[in-house]
Amino acid sequence: MNERVAVVGYKQTKHTIDSPVARERMVYELVKSLYHDMGITKDDIDTFVLASNDFTDGRTISEVFTVPRIGAYMKDETKVEADGLNAALYAYMRILTGLYNTALVIGFSMAGSEFRVPLTQSYTMDPAYERPRGIINFYSTAALQAGAYMKKYKFTDEDLAQLTLKNIRNANNNPFAARKDPGASVEKILGSRPLYLPLREAHVSTYADGACAVVLSSKKTAKKFTDKPVWIDGVGHFMDTYYVGDRDLLAMEHLTAAAKKAYKMAGIKNPKKEIDLAEIHTNFASEEPVLTEALGLFKPGSGKDVVKSGASAITGTLPVNPSGGPLGANPVNATGLIRLAEASAQLRKEAGQNQIKGAKTAVVHAQDGPGAQLNTVFIVRR
Amino acid sequence: MTQETRIIESTWDLTAYQFKIEADALSLFVKGLKDRKILGRKCGTCGTVYVPGPTYCRKCLIDIDQVVEVSQEGRLDAFTVSLADVRGKAVDNPFISCTVKLDGSDSFLMGVLEGWTDWRSVKEGMRVKVVWKDVTQGALADLSHFQLI
Amino acid sequence: MGRNVAIISVGYNGRFISKRPDINIPELIQPAVNNALGKTKLKPEHIDAYVVGNMHTFEGVNQPHLWASDHFNGSGKPVMRIATGGTTGASVYQAAYYHVASGMYDVVMAIGWEKQDEGDSQVGLMGILLPEAFSLFHFGPDTSSDRGIAGLGGGGSTGGAAFQAMSYLTRANAGIEHIDRVAALMRSNAAKNPYAHLQQPGCTEADIAGTPIISYPLRFGHTCPTSCGAIAMILVSEEKAKKFGLTDRVAWVKGLGSGTSDATTGNLIEGQITDPAEQQICKITAKKVYSMAGIKDPRKDIQVAEVYSGFSHQDLMWPERLGLFEEGMAPKILDKGGYAIDGELPINPSGGVTSTNAIGASAMVRVGEAALQVMGLAEGGHQVKRKIENAVAHGWGGLFQFVTITVLGKTPVKK
Ligand SMILES: [Zn+2]
Repeated sequence: MNERVAVVGYKQTKHTIDSPVARERMVYELVKSLYHDMGITKDDIDTFVLASNDFTDGRTISEVFTVPRIGAYMKDETKVEADGLNAALYAYMRILTGLYNTALVIGFSMAGSEFRVPLTQSYTMDPAYERPRGIINFYSTAALQAGAYMKKYKFTDEDLAQLTLKNIRNANNNPFAARKDPGASVEKILGSRPLYLPLREAHVSTYADGACAVVLSSKKTAKKFTDKPVWIDGVGHFMDTYYVGDRDLLAMEHLTAAAKKAYKMAGIKNPKKEIDLAEIHTNFASEEPVLTEALGLFKPGSGKDVVKSGASAITGTLPVNPSGGPLGANPVNATGLIRLAEASAQLRKEAGQNQIKGAKTAVVHAQDGPGAQLNTVFIVRR
Repeated sequence: MTQETRIIESTWDLTAYQFKIEADALSLFVKGLKDRKILGRKCGTCGTVYVPGPTYCRKCLIDIDQVVEVSQEGRLDAFTVSLADVRGKAVDNPFISCTVKLDGSDSFLMGVLEGWTDWRSVKEGMRVKVVWKDVTQGALADLSHFQLI
Repeated sequence: MGRNVAIISVGYNGRFISKRPDINIPELIQPAVNNALGKTKLKPEHIDAYVVGNMHTFEGVNQPHLWASDHFNGSGKPVMRIATGGTTGASVYQAAYYHVASGMYDVVMAIGWEKQDEGDSQVGLMGILLPEAFSLFHFGPDTSSDRGIAGLGGGGSTGGAAFQAMSYLTRANAGIEHIDRVAALMRSNAAKNPYAHLQQPGCTEADIAGTPIISYPLRFGHTCPTSCGAIAMILVSEEKAKKFGLTDRVAWVKGLGSGTSDATTGNLIEGQITDPAEQQICKITAKKVYSMAGIKDPRKDIQVAEVYSGFSHQDLMWPERLGLFEEGMAPKILDKGGYAIDGELPINPSGGVTSTNAIGASAMVRVGEAALQVMGLAEGGHQVKRKIENAVAHGWGGLFQFVTITVLGKTPVKK
């Protein structure tokens, strides 16, 4: 058995809304340059875990042509069909058994240019009832959640715009983000195209072409790869029920359960104090207060205070998505894994302009399904 | 208890996708076909010759750019005799699809095999050669078929 | 390496059949889950986590486990979705193994299914190569006849399988009659398996030989049906197995592995270099799995095999590539009766995939059937009578490129 597992290498593409290269080339270039940066070869990797989805790839068994591109030819390999953070979770379990010491985890998609995300999302809806009715979808679920939160906690459209602006500004300083909007302002956000009110276009994450790869290693082999391992000290994943009407979209109990499990593993008693930063998977800006509160990072209903005090800004007491988060780039399937890469960058002091001083412990989050039905949480430490 | 079940019609619209495809291997391949050459790429490290040749080696995970021309003769590998259509109806003129390893290549190329009278006498390992269309224009169709030597 | 893990229960939704218009996907899964639970004293609350999977493009529902969450009791539990094409079911099972072996969870349920009457499997299968096939049209193929297209895509309606079959026959110096013979054996084995789809008691070589050839050497009688079905298995740690008082009738996971090569047959996009009949990746993975399981000589140490054969020639090819027979010997062993349920090394007593194929379930059904054989619980007359110490289960998928192998046994590997 291996007692501890670390992120020992990570890399993401410069995400774009229209990649100049095909999916296979994007994946190949990324993995090759990660190996190069780390001074390793594919033969240093014991097992390969991909994250992709046949619907978002538009192909049945979509890994058929991508597995040779990551160095897995004639090697041990498998695929998780969910966000890439779940692939990291699986690789973490594989390494814990001691059967493997190293794993390459990769998530990717061409969500910017090859398909319309709302279309592939619509295919997750119950085909007999909700899909033909077309009322409940990822957007409307998020809007219901946002509306409920805003009403209950007096969180205004201006607060939501302010929160969105924080993320856009962080994304502006993130060289990997696809969204660049130096002229963003509260007024412009408030005036952007209404979708499902209170949600507007500016609140939506930026669907992008992109990929993220992470190398995990057991404690035994970690120092061979880096003197800056980022330890995965806690993990948790839980799923909620499907029908949106059956869920409490504000409480997000299942995310709380995932977080509690991860905190317990990591020995964290007071996340508000012990967590230095959060990288969370929001498909819409409005999810940020709900998800961070369910993660126990802020007091329930404190969204307004958090925005006003700047607590979640890079200079705040508990920065949330210093990378800009998925508002900066959402290459579906890679998005949660990018959160792990961004958190690792922060803990290794490699986050450039968005670097948070003295960050030692981070919480990382990914979601799948409408209204974050399935949530995955990692606690990582330097 | 009675149960009512209804069937809901729905589609998975693959035309809703715009796919980007890496075209290096096939571009080089069809360019060669115009000049009646079979072109591929060779890995300088492990020596594997890919036809059509992508710009990377999947064994070594490195870029490769050495263009090589391979022989127009080779060895018949696997083959199959199409005797029926998708619905099982016998076809009038059975044909053989085959994979061929051209001399100097590590790849299996697919094509139609001609030059036989009784398909039962066709055997793996037989020698074959490339037969071109009368006019080549830089398209996959330039490579008409493989012929038993 | 890792904690010892045991399979304590295998459940099916019922008999696998071609059409279930009476139910939807969640309703197909639920009975399998209940069946697996019902064979133990466990209740849904005893299950710590779920690993699930199918090939969702076949039914047209993206990540259907989200929709089915309540039906398999997944709401409020950790759930992970795995999908790897034909190997999906086995990949799901392997992920469930790692959930337990890693120490993360003690009791995990693995579920695989396919409801192939919903959606269009042919569209699903075509979708493997769809963009790649489209791209070929940019390079001017000969579209004037079927021949031009066949020359590109390979091998008529059975795809690359017919190439693989011919290549195998040449190597083994065998004939189409051997494929007929093994196909007949599978259909008659299936008649002894109450969950199998195509059950033909006493099916003969002549019955199969009477079906039309699709693409020589493959006939209709050599291909798998499209089935609707679901399977659920419960995996537990050694401590829990003891606690539940379940150490007698369990199947211990002794070794496992999942490997990949590249897209082989049909790969005109970037040059096919891998021989689909050689199956180097199967040999590499088998070697690794046997070493983990402490199997020195698979021909002696393994008493039954469940191999994934979408086409009947593979029932001959895979046991050889898995090292159970010397290369080229399978047809001879088949002729001597070695394949039969009472033979020297029974292959697919369940009737295999050519009798029953609910794709996302199929590779897990191989594991489940191997487990039932080890546990001595295979129903309806397909239980092997001889003492079984070890069983091997195999899966393949992708464009002849993925492989999954696991060895199950009566006694765990000593740690
Ligand atoms: Zn090479």
